[in-house]
Amino acid sequence: MSNAVEIRDILYRAGKSFEVRDLSLNVPGGSVYGFLGPNGSGKTTTIRLLLGLLRPVRGRITVLGGDVPNDAPRILARTGYVPESPHLYPMLSVDQLIRVHASFYPRWDGAWGRELQRNFRLDGVTRFSSLSKGEKGKLMMLLALAQRPELLVLDEPTDGLDPVVRRDVLSALLDYVSRQNATVFICSHLIHELERICDWVGVMDRGRLVAELPMETFKSGIKRLRVSNPPPRIGDAPFVVLSREPGAGAAETWVVRGWEPPMSQYFEQVGAGLKEVVDLDLEEGFVELLNTFRQPVQ
Amino acid sequence: MFEQIDPRSATPLYAQIAGRIRVAVAAGELRPGEPLPSVRQLASKLRVNPATVVQAYRDLETEGFVEMRQGAGTFVKEVVPERRATERGKRAVDLVRQMMAEAGRLGLTTKELQHAIEQELEARIG
Repeated sequence: MSNAVEIRDILYRAGKSFEVRDLSLNVPGGSVYGFLGPNGSGKTTTIRLLLGLLRPVRGRITVLGGDVPNDAPRILARTGYVPESPHLYPMLSVDQLIRVHASFYPRWDGAWGRELQRNFRLDGVTRFSSLSKGEKGKLMMLLALAQRPELLVLDEPTDGLDPVVRRDVLSALLDYVSRQNATVFICSHLIHELERICDWVGVMDRGRLVAELPMETFKSGIKRLRVSNPPPRIGDAPFVVLSREPGAGAAETWVVRGWEPPMSQYFEQVGAGLKEVVDLDLEEGFVELLNTFRQPVQ
Repeated sequence: MFEQIDPRSATPLYAQIAGRIRVAVAAGELRPGEPLPSVRQLASKLRVNPATVVQAYRDLETEGFVEMRQGAGTFVKEVVPERRATERGKRAVDLVRQMMAEAGRLGLTTKELQHAIEQELEARIG
């Protein structure tokens, strides 16, 4: 399947202190792509670049087969966007906001919009400024979904929402994805949430892409190993060592990436012993990955 | 049936979903001819990727537990009694393996674990 989003060798500078450098990424069509990274790593900047809201110094961005920013109007008509902080007219009511929004999108699905409004229990006459944080989050998701987009770009869509609202919002999103085979590009700090819904993961740090791979590969390939008599130097191991720490006695704890069971042979070859292989979840794997990116292991 | 889906577990989500359904079929909770939830319903309910549900259903179809009928949905097939017993046995082994993995993570020895199990069983049985 072709890619819904392709970014090639982007350079973007904001002031002197921050830049996005050598950024290339691919979001496969029909995937749910989780975009991870610590605060200030460039996630929102990347989102704004791919929507044509910021211009790169160089590089190429293709979204839904069109060129950004030249084809941006055509692309944006087929893209649902939930920004980090909602920016709607505070004095308009829910019903008014839905009408305004609908008028911009040719594929707007009024019936489904009303169904979502009922499910989300959003009162039509309430002004935006009087909505609670959870109601604002639900309204933003409603607006993004009812335009029946081919691509959804979600920047922390559930940030600060309570668990019940988060559940409603994500259920609506997944309901839509199962019906339409839309592509979802989602940033979130709630890694456990992404772990459930994503099939691809991209990790950013300090303006660069650290890793991009299928969720299964990410999760199955990162392990914590207990190694006895570890070799002083790792040499040509078939996996990537993300970290090594001394443990009890002569043993060490290693975190490795790209692990497959046959690789335990390596330890026999270097005269070490592999005591244990422990699975890591996405959050632990993510933290280890970032640590190494910042401080490579010798 | 799906309360215990755990995204943090090392078992992939599709395998967890397929496992739950396999047990339900083996235990007779899901009867032959009964429909499974649609991919859309289940993905939305569990908040998982629809592709995950599709993969679970495909695996179950390959194993002969369910049948996917074009446009109509996915239905439970007849499972012979011996197969049911085998499935339940497999499930028990899976549970023990999970427990052992968790114990390993906590640094418990096999002895300590075995002791705890025996004590618990004794307390339960009398």
